Amino acid sequence: MELHRNRKFVYMGLVILLALVYSVRIFRLQVFDNTYEQKAINNALNKIPIYPDRSIVYDRNGKLLVHNIAVYDLIVFPAKTDGVDSVSFCKLMGMEPAEFTKRMAMARESSKKRQKNNVFNGSAIFMNNLSKEQYSAIQENLYRFPGFTVEPKTDRIYAVKGGAHILGYLGEVSKKTLAKDAYYRPGDLMGITGIENTYENYIRGVRGVKTVWQDRTYTERGEVTDNEFNSPAQAGPDFYTGIDFDLQEFGESLLANKRGSVVAIEPSTGEILALINKPDYDPNLLVGPTRDKTIRQLLIDPKKPLYNRAIKGVYPPGSTFKTVMALIAAQEGVLKPNTMHGCAGGYHLGSLTVGCHPHGSPLDLKNSIGISCNAYYCQVFRDIIDNPKYNNVKAGYAALEKHLRTFGLGSPLGVDLPGESGGNVPTVKQLDRRHGKNWKSSMIISLSIGQGEILLTPLQMANMAAIIANKGWYITPHLAKGIGSQKFIPEKYRKPQYVSVSELYFNWIIEGMELVTKPGGTAFGTGVDDIVVCSKTGTAQNPHGQDHSLFIAFAPKENPKIAIAVIVENGGYGATWAAPIANLMIEKYLKKQEASSRPELLERMKNSAVQ
Amino acid sequence: MSNRYSSINDNPQLDVLSVWLYALLVLVGLLSIYSATSEVNQTFQFSFSGPAGRQLIWIGGAVIIILTIAFANVAVIDYFAYGFYGVAILLNILVLFLGKEVSGAKSWFGIGSFGIQPSEFAKVATALAVAKYLGTYGVKFKGGKNVLYTLGIVILPMLIILLQNDTGSALVFLSFFLVLYREGLPGWILLAALWIGGIAITWIVLSAKEISLLWLHGVIWSLGATVIWFSRKNRQIIIVTLLIAGISSLFSAGVGFAWKKVLKDYQRDRIELVLGLKQDVKGMGYNLEQSKIAIGAGKFVGRGYLKGTQTKMGFVPEQHTDFIFCTIAEEWGFMGVTVFFLLYTGLLWRLIILAERQSTVFGRVLGYSVLCILFFHFSINIGMTIGMVPVIGIPLPFVSFGGSSLWAFTLLLFTFLKVDEKRR
Repeated sequence: MELHRNRKFVYMGLVILLALVYSVRIFRLQVFDNTYEQKAINNALNKIPIYPDRSIVYDRNGKLLVHNIAVYDLIVFPAKTDGVDSVSFCKLMGMEPAEFTKRMAMARESSKKRQKNNVFNGSAIFMNNLSKEQYSAIQENLYRFPGFTVEPKTDRIYAVKGGAHILGYLGEVSKKTLAKDAYYRPGDLMGITGIENTYENYIRGVRGVKTVWQDRTYTERGEVTDNEFNSPAQAGPDFYTGIDFDLQEFGESLLANKRGSVVAIEPSTGEILALINKPDYDPNLLVGPTRDKTIRQLLIDPKKPLYNRAIKGVYPPGSTFKTVMALIAAQEGVLKPNTMHGCAGGYHLGSLTVGCHPHGSPLDLKNSIGISCNAYYCQVFRDIIDNPKYNNVKAGYAALEKHLRTFGLGSPLGVDLPGESGGNVPTVKQLDRRHGKNWKSSMIISLSIGQGEILLTPLQMANMAAIIANKGWYITPHLAKGIGSQKFIPEKYRKPQYVSVSELYFNWIIEGMELVTKPGGTAFGTGVDDIVVCSKTGTAQNPHGQDHSLFIAFAPKENPKIAIAVIVENGGYGATWAAPIANLMIEKYLKKQEASSRPELLERMKNSAVQ
Repeated sequence: MSNRYSSINDNPQLDVLSVWLYALLVLVGLLSIYSATSEVNQTFQFSFSGPAGRQLIWIGGAVIIILTIAFANVAVIDYFAYGFYGVAILLNILVLFLGKEVSGAKSWFGIGSFGIQPSEFAKVATALAVAKYLGTYGVKFKGGKNVLYTLGIVILPMLIILLQNDTGSALVFLSFFLVLYREGLPGWILLAALWIGGIAITWIVLSAKEISLLWLHGVIWSLGATVIWFSRKNRQIIIVTLLIAGISSLFSAGVGFAWKKVLKDYQRDRIELVLGLKQDVKGMGYNLEQSKIAIGAGKFVGRGYLKGTQTKMGFVPEQHTDFIFCTIAEEWGFMGVTVFFLLYTGLLWRLIILAERQSTVFGRVLGYSVLCILFFHFSINIGMTIGMVPVIGIPLPFVSFGGSSLWAFTLLLFTFLKVDEKRR
């Protein structure tokens, strides 16, 4: 009987061995591996996002521009959709099967990622902003499609028909953004262009979260009361733009049926009063269930209604550029108010001729601006860059270029809109490439009258006018006037930037700009009664046909309130289209009335087409 | 018969330590069942129709069983051992015809909302019958006939339970082979079982990874060749080695047949999961992952009693029955697990001590039967929650929710404690 007594140790050994092996394994699971606790939390907590309303947008006078309406989104929890009948879903909702597959794949991928980062639940927006038909169809059939649910949200609605390029539009967050920003769920709306895009982080508000316990079947099992897991949604703060929407709409009506752009700036603040592009589109087209389809149509429209010429279009500034040339020459000490240059129907140097229109000769500085003499500025230009104080023309030109860049030319100004172009101020290198190593001032002389390699955006031209109005400084033009109750705007839109030309010289040029709308001036007849408008016309040759009609101005002369640049593509003389439009707008803004003394001009502008 | 037990030990009472350990384990079970089935924000709520309430009723029943055993005459146990066995076999056959099907197994008698699972009691009856048979004067676990009878007693209920389609409960009867080791079953048989198990696992791994099975035969035969080379003077060893290698080779072919034709899909899945051959996020793999998450989430000190979301929210399957250990580990952490292991292994250890102090073969075999059945359940049940053993649906004795298993294990333990109390 006692034969196998020692075998009891085998049993004891087995018991101890098992306990040890299991303990080690459990120790590894519980103490070494830190991932399980988070996994358990992710399992059991359903963080339901609460969408805030986006900011309500106003103009500078408190006029409502953009607000929100309640809509419904179709939400999907990819993990719950096992065995969902995608064919009848697509049929019911009018969705392409390929689109269904694509969206489901996107939802799954992002779901996994966000579960890992513990940002909200694994849901994604499957369809944005359901139409009434879609909403009632899906409501009645939700039980057939496990994993789908309907959530309330808000979409944009516009109180105005214009200002499309300022306000921008919303669109579904891109795959790229999804990949780098876990804040968004697939299908979320975000600002794609305009201030909606620039100020997305303010305008979208602060998303709230309601956390509930969920069980394995994703059924809600009570709220998580711990405040750490819950937060209310905060609507985006009220957003005041510096736009004067009456002016904006008026300008849009003037530019109707033309191609071109208007930018108006309040010189003392840099606030953009109006930013107009034609052709454009009604912002109300880009809301609701048809948004994507409409965007696709607008994108392929040959008239390019989505194109924001005011900040992306680059144009030769033509004669408007003479103002800057004169300022720089004055600063360089090669131009005085009484400097006289003759003009014999143009500027002649060897075989080179820069033509000019007939006018008296010689002219002083003031009249050279009023009359816009080309020969005068060819001479001024040569005086600047062939100045003996620079050893060679390239050094002279480099000095000029340096001055130009302080005017915010040649690189984006930094307006609060996405996609701003910087235009072009040619560098010495660029000129080398273009004209060979040994170029002379005569070879680039067209730069003096704003032709050649020099290209500006309408925004830069308007800013140029604002700089002259301010006599030497500007604040980066911007649309935001005040965000929220603190009237916040970014730092860079509050501090002045100084140009390299001294304040002293500005009066010389302003005297000349005053003459432009006076008798004998290039835009005589377009000015405003009892307001002194300082301006400059431009007629820019370009490779796209007829000359562009250009005009820059500010008014009144003393304590200017508005600086403006107008370009009408292929409109011919600056005085034909751009000058009347600018002056009508100045009058509208300063006198709050439209064309008091010349209704027929107003009618002609509104009703004429330039193609 | 009764005078066989007339001279009893000096201090006649049930082993106090074992009773305490039992009581604590049952209490841990009750608390965990309550927690695993409560709502997350719930204030204390108790109802006799809930799982914890029903478990409490069954604990009441268990107390009656204990009292009955305590006051019964120990001779009854010995006398009716075969009778119990007969009744248990009968009930297990009956359930094949009259039982109701629960998750694919036909092993339950349904009485209203309560059910009883006769296979649980078959373990007790078999333990008694094996003890009785080996304790019979003149029977030694040696020689063909006695061994055959003993194996017969074990294998009969096992086969019937297999017919009930309750593989887990049937496998528990393998623990009797561990009992028999104490009674003289040669160690090499157990080692051979390990060898066979090793070959089977290797075969499964190789075929899953689509590696030629010739490698397996190659390894078997080269091992054999090595042994023969080193003992080439000894003809006996050469013959035995050739025999083993031949049988192994044949066996590995047999494994292939069993794997493909005998095992069901879900059984193959479970085995492949534990061997790490399959990543299955939705089905069994999901359950296993959730079980590990629950345990892992407990960290060192646990998430706190009633705060285990993994189990409450149903992420862990069978959270109050077979996977009750998850609740313990999630809510009490590694500290709790350590205490729990100390209680459990303490009871097992104590059973070895008690079994060894029996003066009768009957008592010792019964003691080792209790030990080995509990050991088997413990190792399989905990092992499956931590992914070291395939998921086999058997309860954690004394702790899992369920009347049949609680009563059967109480009966099993206290029958032995009674025998121990009355030992000479």
